[in-house]
Amino acid sequence: MTMTRRQLVAAIPAAALAANLPRSARAEDARKVVTFWFGQANSDGQAALRNDLVEAFNASQDKYLLQMEVKGAAVNNLLKVALVAGNGPDIVQTAGPAYLTAIANAGQVLPLDDFAERYKWKDRFLAPLLNTSVYGGKLYALPRDYESMHLFYNKELFKQNGWKLPTNRQEMEEVADAALAKGIIPFGAGNADWKGVNEWLMTVFFNNVAGPDIVRKALAGELPWTAPPFVEAVELSKAWYNKGYFGKNYFSLTIEQSFLQVVNGKSAMALGGTWSFGTKSYGMSKPDTVMDVMPTPSLGSAFTGPLVHLACGATLSIAKTSQNAEGAAAVFEFMLTRKFYETMNRDWPGKWALPVKDLPPDMLSGIGYPLFEKTVANLHEAFSKGQYGFTTWTFWPGATNSYLIEGIEQVWLNKITADAYLTRMQTLFSQEAKEGKVPPLPPRTA
Amino acid sequence: MWLFALPALLINICIILVPAVLTFTAAFFMWDGVGTPVWAGLANFQNMVADPVFWSALTNNFIWTAIFLTVPVCLALVMAAALLMAPKARIVVQSIIFLPRIIAVAVTGRIFQGMIFSPATGIVAWLNEHGFSISDPLADPDRSLYAVAAVDIWHWWGFLAVVFLSAMRQISVEQIEAARLDGAGFLQLFRYVLIPGIRPTLTLMLILTVIWSFQVFEFIFIVTRGGPAYGSEVLATFAYRHAFFEGDVGQAAAAACVMSLFGLCATAVYLWLQITDDAQST
Repeated sequence: MTMTRRQLVAAIPAAALAANLPRSARAEDARKVVTFWFGQANSDGQAALRNDLVEAFNASQDKYLLQMEVKGAAVNNLLKVALVAGNGPDIVQTAGPAYLTAIANAGQVLPLDDFAERYKWKDRFLAPLLNTSVYGGKLYALPRDYESMHLFYNKELFKQNGWKLPTNRQEMEEVADAALAKGIIPFGAGNADWKGVNEWLMTVFFNNVAGPDIVRKALAGELPWTAPPFVEAVELSKAWYNKGYFGKNYFSLTIEQSFLQVVNGKSAMALGGTWSFGTKSYGMSKPDTVMDVMPTPSLGSAFTGPLVHLACGATLSIAKTSQNAEGAAAVFEFMLTRKFYETMNRDWPGKWALPVKDLPPDMLSGIGYPLFEKTVANLHEAFSKGQYGFTTWTFWPGATNSYLIEGIEQVWLNKITADAYLTRMQTLFSQEAKEGKVPPLPPRTA
Repeated sequence: MWLFALPALLINICIILVPAVLTFTAAFFMWDGVGTPVWAGLANFQNMVADPVFWSALTNNFIWTAIFLTVPVCLALVMAAALLMAPKARIVVQSIIFLPRIIAVAVTGRIFQGMIFSPATGIVAWLNEHGFSISDPLADPDRSLYAVAAVDIWHWWGFLAVVFLSAMRQISVEQIEAARLDGAGFLQLFRYVLIPGIRPTLTLMLILTVIWSFQVFEFIFIVTRGGPAYGSEVLATFAYRHAFFEGDVGQAAAAACVMSLFGLCATAVYLWLQITDDAQST
């Protein structure tokens, strides 16, 4: 059949349209589509997601086609609305157990117990993290990563000034005062682009001043948040803010600007999360990095020694309305392959540190990022042994956590007292605990 | 006549009335946004009025309204009158003052946050380096609301000036010339000819300013997120935080009802003024 010039011209738009259609819409592609919405990802992260997850999974088998959309910071809101409307993605990623609670309680995601049985997930994930997604005896999600707050510091600056690494509050304050005396900001910190920085700091103050056992008691409802150890924690945070330990521009600097102050020697330390390893501009993966990292030291008398904080930065579930639960489970299984672990953690360190039980040293060393490798190895050991504190974004229920973030600014800026802050927190927490909104608490060993 | 109104009526029912009724209904339920709503009676309203942040947010809405009823309106009126008197400069000046209006809100917010107020990368940083001790107003809970208002005024006043200028150009040239021949100066012309001449437009813009001031959200959310320490919190950010960060849609809906109440009051005043005008003119 020959085509006239007019037919040819008319066919061009149709051909262009067909070429742009999603692969699933093409007749020749019989794969079943698995949809996945991701939250925030920088350009490195988006490249890692595309190469190490989407393309690698699609190339690894021929039954399913993974399609990912990066939705940005509003993904949690979009997801809730979409799930209620029955139009959510197959793979439901939440920002952690505290976000999962409402969705799981509402029955918007499928129990994963059958898949967990088939793929032996319960034997392959670290129990403290996996159990944060168990509601009513059923598993509703897999933890995507583990995180913790750490003390990042400029080791060159410490060396030049003869500062010793702090192991308790007194030593920490000595270093901070010495830094201030030299015009160096003790802690690089800023929340201009993300108010959640407040809770990163408060996670450290609550756990490292009051102690993780006391925090666990409060989360279990056995101790009010108004108890003296928490008052001491909040008062210490206020004292440090007022002394200028976080600099004059805490509310003006972004996370990146404040962390780069440490890298550039304008600040001595930063209380940051393990996700900081994923920002390439910090240069921590380079062999000549000036940065080093250690678990946060005790800031009170409740315990001695360093402490890491148990956090799950994201959970992965399957939507109740998913037409392709098998495909979603296959994606989860793919994430558990050694190759995925190595490539994803090499390309986007800290974002997808799957809390697998079996983490042989050679698997980590393949990443080629010594600071990250030693941190994950330490975290893995501490989490496996049950030695951890509790992060606010994983274990505090929504309204309580929101107030923890917003209200602490009022304390620091002398608008309310520590007692008033904690009283309000206790009121909100009691209400949410009564409504079953507190995520499951893993046990702890001393 | 109803047939002509039907398309607009249907659109209004679908995208305004139905969501409005649902929001009003949600204010009487406890709902986390994904589960089953539970009847709560007036509990959401009781919790809201017991929350000091609600009152500071409401106060900030009133301050915002007062600022926007005066500062940009005065600036815009003076500029519109000046442009009426200087037709040669009109096109260039109108283009310049209208420009902020066509820049996306998010871009404007980020420009002011990062390039003007920031003590690390903004003009404030430059001034500090050159001996002026100036702090970031966005970081001060007592000044952050005014700083965001300044950003919004920069974005808004040019548009208002163009609207007022259009209205002034409807005033009869003979009336303006007669006033001038009678010896009226700029201020007298402004007070006795231009302002009365654009009174319907001015009234409408003032009423809309009240309504919009109780709905203000974008600039505050982008630039300060209502902080620090709730210093720039308004009802819309209060509602957003409850709905999407605290999983308390009922409380958010209650706050939205209060926002709507002020809008309804402003609309009622506008309708009353219209009716009064109609009665006087007949």
